[in-house]
Amino acid sequence: MIDFSNINPKGADLSELTAENTALEIKNLDLFYGDKQALHNVSMKIPKGKVTAFIGPSGCGKSTLLRCINRMNDLVEICRVDGNIELQGINIYDKSVDVASLRRRIGMVFQRPNPFPKSIYENVVYGLRLQGINDRRTLDEACETSLRGAALWNEVKDRLHDNAFGLSGGQQQRLVIARAIAIGPEVLLLDEPTSALDPISTLTIEELITELKKKFTVVIVTHNMQQAARVSDQTAFMYMGKLIEYSDTNTLFTSPKQKQTEDYITGRYG
Amino acid sequence: MGKWFKSGTPWIWMTGGAVSLSLIAVIGLFLLIGWRGLSFFWPATVYEFSMQNEQGQQSVLIGEIYDQEHVLKQQLIDGGVTGLEDYPESLERFLIKTGNREYVDLDFQWILETIIKGKKVAHDVVVFERTKNGNFYGYIDSIIEGENKLNITKSDLLNELNGRLARALEFRDKEHGLLTGDIGRINNDLDRIRLKQRKLELDGELTEQKITEFKASSDALRAEYLGLENELFGYRDQAKRDSVVVKDMTGRLVTMPLSYILDFYQPNDMNFMQKVGHWFHQVYKFVSSDPREANTEGGVFPAIFGTVFMVMLMAVIVTPFGVVAAIYLHEYAGKNNITKFIRIAVINLSGVPSIVYGVFGLGFFVYILGGSIDQLLYPEALPSPTFGSPGVLWSALTLAILTLPVVIVSTEEGLSRIPSTLREGSLALGATKSETLWRIVIPMASPAIMTGLILAVARAAGEVAPLMLVGVVKIAPTLPVDGNFPFLHLDRKFMHLGFHIYDVGFQSPNVEAARPLVYATSFLLVTVIIGLNLAAIAIRNNLREKYRALEH
Repeated sequence: MIDFSNINPKGADLSELTAENTALEIKNLDLFYGDKQALHNVSMKIPKGKVTAFIGPSGCGKSTLLRCINRMNDLVEICRVDGNIELQGINIYDKSVDVASLRRRIGMVFQRPNPFPKSIYENVVYGLRLQGINDRRTLDEACETSLRGAALWNEVKDRLHDNAFGLSGGQQQRLVIARAIAIGPEVLLLDEPTSALDPISTLTIEELITELKKKFTVVIVTHNMQQAARVSDQTAFMYMGKLIEYSDTNTLFTSPKQKQTEDYITGRYG
Repeated sequence: MGKWFKSGTPWIWMTGGAVSLSLIAVIGLFLLIGWRGLSFFWPATVYEFSMQNEQGQQSVLIGEIYDQEHVLKQQLIDGGVTGLEDYPESLERFLIKTGNREYVDLDFQWILETIIKGKKVAHDVVVFERTKNGNFYGYIDSIIEGENKLNITKSDLLNELNGRLARALEFRDKEHGLLTGDIGRINNDLDRIRLKQRKLELDGELTEQKITEFKASSDALRAEYLGLENELFGYRDQAKRDSVVVKDMTGRLVTMPLSYILDFYQPNDMNFMQKVGHWFHQVYKFVSSDPREANTEGGVFPAIFGTVFMVMLMAVIVTPFGVVAAIYLHEYAGKNNITKFIRIAVINLSGVPSIVYGVFGLGFFVYILGGSIDQLLYPEALPSPTFGSPGVLWSALTLAILTLPVVIVSTEEGLSRIPSTLREGSLALGATKSETLWRIVIPMASPAIMTGLILAVARAAGEVAPLMLVGVVKIAPTLPVDGNFPFLHLDRKFMHLGFHIYDVGFQSPNVEAARPLVYATSFLLVTVIIGLNLAAIAIRNNLREKYRALEH
């Protein structure tokens, strides 16, 4: 059973979200892999400056939904998306949207740490170099700020030019977060960021997430209900490609409205 | 027994045996050609044989024991040898290298042990290496300067000869330097003036004034040439000043001008360290000097240079082509049957016999492509072809298409091994697909690209058949790189170690003299290929370390 005593109490009132408090709005989203429908008519508003968690059993579509938000699903050839996702009122699936610049606004961190085979420094400034920024001082500053932002600076400041593979798994994951925030995104998508890490690294990342929401809107997919309860302000429960229930975390965990939600959080399946 | 089979032990023995067999084959081959090739440079002992044939005639033979074998008496009797009744069933016979090619019928003689009456190590015998007619064996009698015999004691002869040979060699070096340097440049310049004039003539822009200008500059060059020619003849005369008189095995005194002696040594009077030193000197001469006497003497430097140059040129051509093709196939081409078909076709290309590529290279590159280039860019040189005849560029191109499949296949393999999370990581940071390719994917695939290149180099360096059609020659007078504008002469023909082996071994007028050179050249070719591969492997390992993929 989950200890609900430390559930985050400050969930936003989702029904009263105004346009400027909304970071993202998903409208009637359907997603198909070939003939198979993976997401069914998902609609939700993700509030700005908060942490939103997607939970649900394996294969429920929570990662798929997350990857729709920065159009990573475009890489899958057989994938087709119907419906809208609006970022500040603009549909990101519109033809006029440049995917590369969209991804600069919506950063992503993956399940396994995936640093590039470069130095720590080059990893962090990779996104900036892509934008053609090569001024040494700008890059140095960005590198330090981002690494501080990802709570990694003190550990790596003396070996910025060592290969990133020399870091531990938890450090690598924070490096990847630093890399994502270096280009100043509005939204940060975290796809089970701690599932490959040990408990202590997990704790560090969780503390980091709480820090991150001061600057970014965070959307996190997690397997771990305690984690969702600890870090998120809102929680969405998904099952079989459908959004079953979405409310502030406190409500979802203490008084779920749906039977399926209750079954899941009480550990009856999943 | 059944249990033994079930335990898998025979299987382990079988697999281990297969590995050992291959290992033994490789090492054995390497040792064989290494031993046969490298022992050639060791200063062999020169023996003096006193012989008496059946008629009772006495004679002396000086030479190195080159080979020996057992023959059956019956075989010899059947061959018409008489007087063998008292000897055992099996007899030994020796192949003696006697040198002195211009004075004997055969400079390699088989002699039977029965006619050898005495054999001794011939002290004071001197071996002369000469620019023509091979080695000369004999005893130094005297030294002649001009017409006069030098009046020096026997013990000083060697030192004196050493000094005088050094002087002669110095003049020969000067002569060679002049020929390849200034005289080569003048010839090159004259040719370019002629071509320029012809070009203007073809364009209809040749005026009287231009003709006068051309004539003036070529006359100036010719005048310079005459001056140099005098200098050249001067050097030649200087080199010819001294001669050495040598007594050969028949007691005849032979006078040889120092201008055609390259080196001399006394193998029987050397200690071990001197022999080692001599061996290194000979090996150095072999890899650094030009071949002489229809390739049966001298070194193989032009062939080494040609091989390495051609292979590098090939690598420069095949790498970008192969990598680009692999990137298209793996990253951009639709994953459908047409792509699959193309991929299979590419893989099968490596199964086409190499001579077919040679024919294709000759027909397409040399005649069509080279011919068109000549028409367009070098019309003034026609009808003599510039690129329209076999050359090192066409050889490199032909081998490049021959090795293209190898590079494509291994590059594609490398591309598919890169974890998709890294690509996604880059894309998620706002990189486009091509930015991801350039910054992440290709650097990470570079070890695989190097692997492809290693395989390509190994294949190309050993390939001979297609080259015989598209650019290799027995003797190339000039290297593809020299000091004359435009310095890189890709239209030139070149020498190649592989072809050199074939030529020396099977097209040579003097089989016995050529045999050790075949081994030495083979050993060298294998060494060159291994060297090229080791260099590439070192680079690859370095890259691998740098782009070590994620370890989980």
